[in-house]
Amino acid sequence: MSQLALQHYLAIGAIMFAIGLIGFLSRRNMIVMFLCTELMFQGVVINLVAFGAYHGNLAGQAFTIFVLVIAASEASLALGLVVLLFRQRNTLDAEAWRELRG
Amino acid sequence: MNDLFAVHYSWLFPLCPLIGAILSGFLGAKWLKSQSHWPIWIGVGISAALSLCLLFHTIQLSNTTPDTISTTITWYHWIDIGHFSAAAGAFIDPLTAVMLTVVCCIGFLITIFSKGYMAGEEGYFRFFAYLGLFIFSMTLLVMGNNFILLYLGWEGVGVCSYLLIGYYYERPAAREAAKKAFLVNRVGDFGFGIGIMLIYLTFGTVSFFGAGAGTHTGVLELATSSTLNDFQQHALAWIPFLLMIGAFGKSAQFPLYVWLPDAMEGPTPVSALIHAATMVTAGIYMIARCSTLFVQSEAALLTIAAVGCFTALFAATIALRQFDLKKVFAYSTISQLGFMFAGVGLLAPVAGVFHLVTHAFFKALLFLSSGVVMHAMAGELDMRKMSGLKHVLPKTRWLMLVGCLALAGCPFFSGFFSKDEIVGAALSHPSLLGRIIGAVLLFSAFLTAYYTFRLYFRVFEGPLVTPHAAHHNDHDHSHAHNHEPLIMILPLFILMLGALLAGYLNFPKNYLGDFLGHSPSFQLGYQTARSATGIDVPAHAFGQPGEEHLDMTTMVISGAISILGILLASYYHLKNRPASDALVQKFAPIARLLEGKFWVDEVYERIIVDPLYAIGRAFTFIDRIVVDGLVAIISFIPQLFGWSLKLTIQRGYLQGYGAAMLFGVAIILLVIFL
Repeated sequence: MSQLALQHYLAIGAIMFAIGLIGFLSRRNMIVMFLCTELMFQGVVINLVAFGAYHGNLAGQAFTIFVLVIAASEASLALGLVVLLFRQRNTLDAEAWRELRG
Repeated sequence: MNDLFAVHYSWLFPLCPLIGAILSGFLGAKWLKSQSHWPIWIGVGISAALSLCLLFHTIQLSNTTPDTISTTITWYHWIDIGHFSAAAGAFIDPLTAVMLTVVCCIGFLITIFSKGYMAGEEGYFRFFAYLGLFIFSMTLLVMGNNFILLYLGWEGVGVCSYLLIGYYYERPAAREAAKKAFLVNRVGDFGFGIGIMLIYLTFGTVSFFGAGAGTHTGVLELATSSTLNDFQQHALAWIPFLLMIGAFGKSAQFPLYVWLPDAMEGPTPVSALIHAATMVTAGIYMIARCSTLFVQSEAALLTIAAVGCFTALFAATIALRQFDLKKVFAYSTISQLGFMFAGVGLLAPVAGVFHLVTHAFFKALLFLSSGVVMHAMAGELDMRKMSGLKHVLPKTRWLMLVGCLALAGCPFFSGFFSKDEIVGAALSHPSLLGRIIGAVLLFSAFLTAYYTFRLYFRVFEGPLVTPHAAHHNDHDHSHAHNHEPLIMILPLFILMLGALLAGYLNFPKNYLGDFLGHSPSFQLGYQTARSATGIDVPAHAFGQPGEEHLDMTTMVISGAISILGILLASYYHLKNRPASDALVQKFAPIARLLEGKFWVDEVYERIIVDPLYAIGRAFTFIDRIVVDGLVAIISFIPQLFGWSLKLTIQRGYLQGYGAAMLFGVAIILLVIFL
């Protein structure tokens, strides 16, 4: 096995993003959908770190720290919302909220 | 006279009641509650004391000088727009002093009475706040040194009248009456407003006497100038008629009188203060103040006199067949105001103002006495259901008797002297119309005496009959409940003294007349009347120095007529009550006509109110169908767009939106990279 090159990291990131996307589009459980979006996030973050290492600077890593912080705070909000939504309908099914379309 | 305390601090007159009104209005609901009368008592009390002080000082001055007494005070520059300016300030002369005394002193007595009468009512503080606001507006009205301030006070008293008529707003009748009073007054005020605008256009100022009497800078003096251009002369022919419309509305003259009888829906102290003693006399005050404008137009004067005379007769006939105590007094107020208008219209403003003063005393007394009756009879005012109340209300009976004698014009009571002066002025008027008016007024005076004593004999004399409810009440509480509390009787005694003695203000010598003659309005009015009409106007009619003569024949005739009316009433309503019923049976159509008040209200309903409603409904229809229809069609287009989206793309599946985003981004990427 030769050394890991940039394209290996990019491939991993793309695969993680695609899995997340497919999961988001195919599942209805709100927690799972939320997890899938997190997965897509991490796919992107791997890209950032990989490019940072490739270019030999810290910009990608610094950006990653930001993304992680924001993702953490967003996760706490989103999970809280999910709990509230669950209390309203007693189900995690996203389709229970269809009437929000207006 | 600027060094007088009351003149120097003239702004206290309107300010004290206003502060009282603000205090009891804003603190009354939460903190003052049943003590809400205190701010008003103190505020109006200060104004009343100041007004007496002003009156006595002005009388002293008038005894020492033959010149006019007047002063113009500017409180502050109120409006200054381009060439238009109106100061907030006072014009003080004997006429103002007399009006202020009447307004503040009678107002003060009535606020004292109200404490007893309104005790325990819902919204007690509200009543007193409105009362304070009324005194504020009324003092502005009689003190203002220009037409704008006069108009402000004029509208202010109108608003207070509206608020107080609608005081019992839970009652539909009270709401309707309040609206009616306000709307009918709007008709009059429309004319009045246009009159003021025309005055400004014509003379370039709205001030009565500008910088002061004698400086020829105010409307009332400019109008007498001999160098008027064509436009000014034409305008002068119109101005009195426009102002007159306002006076007819506020002072309830035909054809705008219809609001006053309905205004009796308000609490009785309000009927006494606003709808008998003060506000409704604003029209007389305005015409007396502007006599220089009015005396130049003979047509205007004769119109005023004729309308006043017709109203006096018309309202007196309606009062013959009313059964509600307050309604009888309401029609008699309209009728007496007609007398005053006839007085000022026939070039006798002193007689008009004299009658205004005496009328304020005895009519306030009569209304408040009927308030005591109403209080004792649990709100019942139908005179068919009561009789012989002198056994239940011994004090009120004497008060009411004095008031009735004064109103009936019985010799030696106040109403006699003032009414006699008006009749005398009419009979000595050189024109034939004047003498006809005099004769009609005499007949109205006869009717007045008759209907007044019809009421008195029915209610207070004869066997004791009280309305069922009140009677029961009496037995339950036996003598525990005093129907005549001191707080209500005391102000009435003072008013009774006024009703007894006010007539001697102008008899046997013209004391009041001489005093009023020191007003520049009266002096200028007299000079203008002599030069403009060519009629040999008697000097004493304007309070000017000249020979005084007591017209004994008129006095004897009007006295005899009044006593005749009283005697006739005593026959039909005391000695032989069935005879009056027989009389009504005999003239049933006439009685029905009078009970229906000549169906004037119904006629107005048909020719004014109904068409207005019809127009309103037509406009509503157009608005609903045409205007709203257009708006609906336009708003339908985006709605349609929204519906189409809702049915196709916006389905509410989160995954659908996600997929749409994905495809969107994919397409954008494709476009960028390929």
